[in-house]
Formats: sequence, C-alpha cells, structure tokens
Amino acid sequence: MTDDKDVLRDVWFGRIPTCFTLYQDEITEREAEPYYLLLPRVSYLTLVTDKVKKHFQKVMRQEDISEIWFEYEGTPLKWHYPIGLLFDLLASSSALPWNITVHFKSFPEKDLLHCPSKDVIEAHFMSCVKEADALKHKSQVINEMQKKDHKQLWMGLQNDRFDQFWAINRKLMEYPAEENGFRYIPFRIYQTTTERPFIQKLFRPVSTDGQLHTLGDLLKEVCPSAVAPEVPMPEVCSWLPTWLLASSAEGSHLPSLWRDWEEDGPRLSQQGAENRRNQSPGTETRLLHREKSA
Amino acid sequence: MVGNGELQRTVLMATCVKHIFKLKMELQCHIKEHLTMYRHFFLWRAKKTINKIKRQPAAKLLQSCPTLCEPIDGSPKGSPIPGILQEALDPPLDDLEVNETTTAAEVIKYEYHVLYSCSYQVPVLYFRASFLDGRPLALKDIWEGVHECYKMRLLQGPWDTITQQEHPILGQPFFVLHPCKTSEFMTPVLKNSQKINRNVNYITSWLSMVGPAVGLNLPLSYATAASQDEGNVDGQDSSIERKSLEEH
Repeated sequence: MTDDKDVLRDVWFGRIPTCFTLYQDEITEREAEPYYLLLPRVSYLTLVTDKVKKHFQKVMRQEDISEIWFEYEGTPLKWHYPIGLLFDLLASSSALPWNITVHFKSFPEKDLLHCPSKDVIEAHFMSCVKEADALKHKSQVINEMQKKDHKQLWMGLQNDRFDQFWAINRKLMEYPAEENGFRYIPFRIYQTTTERPFIQKLFRPVSTDGQLHTLGDLLKEVCPSAVAPEVPMPEVCSWLPTWLLASSAEGSHLPSLWRDWEEDGPRLSQQGAENRRNQSPGTETRLLHREKSA
Repeated sequence: MVGNGELQRTVLMATCVKHIFKLKMELQCHIKEHLTMYRHFFLWRAKKTINKIKRQPAAKLLQSCPTLCEPIDGSPKGSPIPGILQEALDPPLDDLEVNETTTAAEVIKYEYHVLYSCSYQVPVLYFRASFLDGRPLALKDIWEGVHECYKMRLLQGPWDTITQQEHPILGQPFFVLHPCKTSEFMTPVLKNSQKINRNVNYITSWLSMVGPAVGLNLPLSYATAASQDEGNVDGQDSSIERKSLEEH
C-alpha cells in the first residue's frame, strides 16, 4: 500500500476546472458574472459549491431563491454522484473548462435527490462506505469503528484532508493475511448508454481455482459489451479498491474505470489508446484520464 | 380492517432477469435459495388517506388491495406469467371504511417497491409518496408521518433509518428504509420457525415488520393465506404463525 501513496494522492487531488453560469431565466437585480472553480474529483457538488451559491445569491432577491441545483447541457446533475464521475460520464470529451449552469428554481423532483443540508451529503457518503464494507468485510471493520472514526472519515473528505481521511480509510482497505483479498469487490459501472443508472454485482477478487482476478475479468463478466477483445489487464482486481476506488473517496464505490498509466510503460498506455479506438459505438465506457499535476 | 376477499387472491409476482418466479401466498420463499441468486421486484399501489390537519399517520386506511403492476426490471413485456393481474381499478368507496374526518383531508398516494440488495443480501423497501396533484412529499414529511411507536427508533438515528436515495433500476428519487439491520431482526424469526418446524415466507414476515413504520400495513390475511396453503389447516398451527408475527 505504501508504494501506492503517490497514486492515492494523485487521485485525491484530482481537479476539474469548472465555469458556473447562472441560468438565463433566473431573476436577477443585476448581471451575474460567471464563477470559476477547481472542483475536486472525489467530492460532491453540493459540498464544494458554497462560494458559487453565495456569488449568485448576491445578485438575486431572497424570494427568488430556493434550492440550488446544477445542470449540464440540459441534464440535471446528480449531486450524489462524485464530481469526477459526473464529468467523465457527461463532459469528458468537451473542451475545458466544464460549463455548468446554476438554477435556483423549478427543482427537478423526478430527477434529483434533495440536499437541504450537509447532513444529507454526510448520510449518503457514509451509507456508501458502509455498503462497501458490507461487501469487503461483512461490515465488521466499519461496525467496529467508533463514531468519531466515522466522523473523521467524513471531515477528511469535507475539508480536503488526505492524511486525516486515509488514517481511517486504510483500515477499510486491509484484509487478513490468510485471505487473498476482500470478500467481494465493491464496484459500480456507469455508462451513458443504459437506462439503468449503474451495474453492480457480486464479484470475488479470487477465482475458484485460486487465481487473482483482473480488471479485465471483472469487465468481461459484468459488462461484456464494453470490453474490447484482447485487452491485457495486468492490474489485479484486488488492487482496484486501493487505487481507482480511492478516486471516489467513498473508498470503494468506483465510478468509471481505466486509467492511462503513462509511466507504467508504453505498452499499457498504447493499449489504453487502442481501447478507446476500439470502443464499439454506443457503449462508451468512460475512461478516467490521469490528471496532470498542476 | 378491510376484509376484502381480493386480498386472498392477490398474487405477488416477482420477476428477475433470468427466471420468472411465481410467489403465491402459499409458496415458501426461502431466501437462501431464491433471493441470493436473483433480484425480485414487487410493486404495490396503495392509496392512503392521511388526516393532514391532525397529523395522524396511522389514520384509517382506505387501502385498495395491493394490486399488481407489470414488472419493471427489464423482463420482456408479455412474459408468460400465468395469472398476472393488470393494474386494478380502485374498489368503489362504499366497500371501504370511511372516516368522517377524511372529507377534509388530503389524499396521499404511496408507491412501494421491494428490491433485493446483493450487498446486504436482504430485501429492501423503497417507496415514494405524493399528493394527488403530483406534489411529492419531502423527507421531513415522511419522518413526521412515521407512526408513534416507531418514532423513538427513528429519532435515535434518522439518517440511518429513512433517507432519500436513487432507485437502482429506475434512477429516480425514492425513500428507502435502510437494510443494514434487516438480517439482525430476521435471523431470530427464521431460527424460531426452524425450531417449531414451520416454514416462513420471508417476504411476508419481513414486510409485516418493516412496512408499518412507513405506512404499509400488511393485512393479516397474507399470513393466514400463507399458512393455510402450507397444508397446515389445523387451527392451532395457524395461530402460532399469527402470534409470532403479531409479536413483531
């Protein structure tokens, strides 16, 4: 795990440059300037946009303001998805900055969960962490933790404190020496082309004959239409939670998968590029591009 | 309570991606055999009148019989499911009990779904509620509407009990009763029934325990129908089943 510290840090500190613009039909007392912000991939929209809210509310009257919500090219943005996931799913092929429209009225009840306070985000985040641990450890690790540990996990995310977060999260990433990995790998696969929001199934890190599963095995089994043939996936599946899953600070609910590990050798990144070319149309499994460090 | 004969004949249908199960009340539902492998999907439509002014959540239930809607898990329409009921019309009002106070009350429509969680390996109750004009209820309305006898438990940890979540198949906002404690309270039920050599319909037992907290009161006839069909026509045996359900 210690070797992966760099990768964990890179994932944690990934940012998306975003431009927030007020929806044109909102009633304002004067012109509203767009607001620029670097959004953390691992966090949630409603957790990191207080400044955005304040900025636009300055030019509006109190009576014209109700619950804030965000939209990209007509699609309401589900705040309960990690920001990185939303971007990869909807906007990764567009030029930066990511252009998000801000609304203060006509909340889309049928599409979005309400988020009246930070408590809602905390509850959602913790329930994801708990569900992941149910898969990894039959909930033993998370249930043995004290309430203050849970709080520390949440505060680490809220305040962008890598060390504070991982001090607790590393316990959720461990497994006993005699096992070869977690009980099941917690993952979710998101695609733009399906009606169902995501694919989530039980998947063991080790096969019945003792072989460690790879990411390719997982995808082949769970999402066969999205995988190009002859994909070498040397990364073992049990490492998935450590790196990629860490990309959605929930620790283990993994948004889209695949990284371009340029430094891991030309072969891998070449294959990564080929994967993208070989995607059959209509099954765009999102590729999570490595963020260049700022 | 509404003693509608229809209830006895209601068929709970479950469909999943690979197979179609027919869960009549007389069928046993062994969770290990069935639910661990497949997802089940039930849909009830129940109309419930809440006396909004007095905020009495356990108000008279103008409940239409749980009817069956088409399964919405992606199985093809027109699947050969014998006896599937089309969405039934509401029974005429004079068949149901009517409280005088309800004339001034708002009608709230509840929709309940039972899904299976492969992470927790238990069923989970999802529901949504709206007024007849389509206005949805907010989470705090739902919390306020929880029956008094469950209020204590809710107040201990509302965020761990009922929250709004995305329906994993429909992708729309629903309220969810958290499943993390389900196996904890279901294990004694299953153990006890094994001791007295009785089969338990997991879904009926589970739903009779969690449903009432969120307005879904399962009529006793579900349980008696189940026990009758198991071939235990003996009155004594039925009363044991009834008793163990009542205790919860």
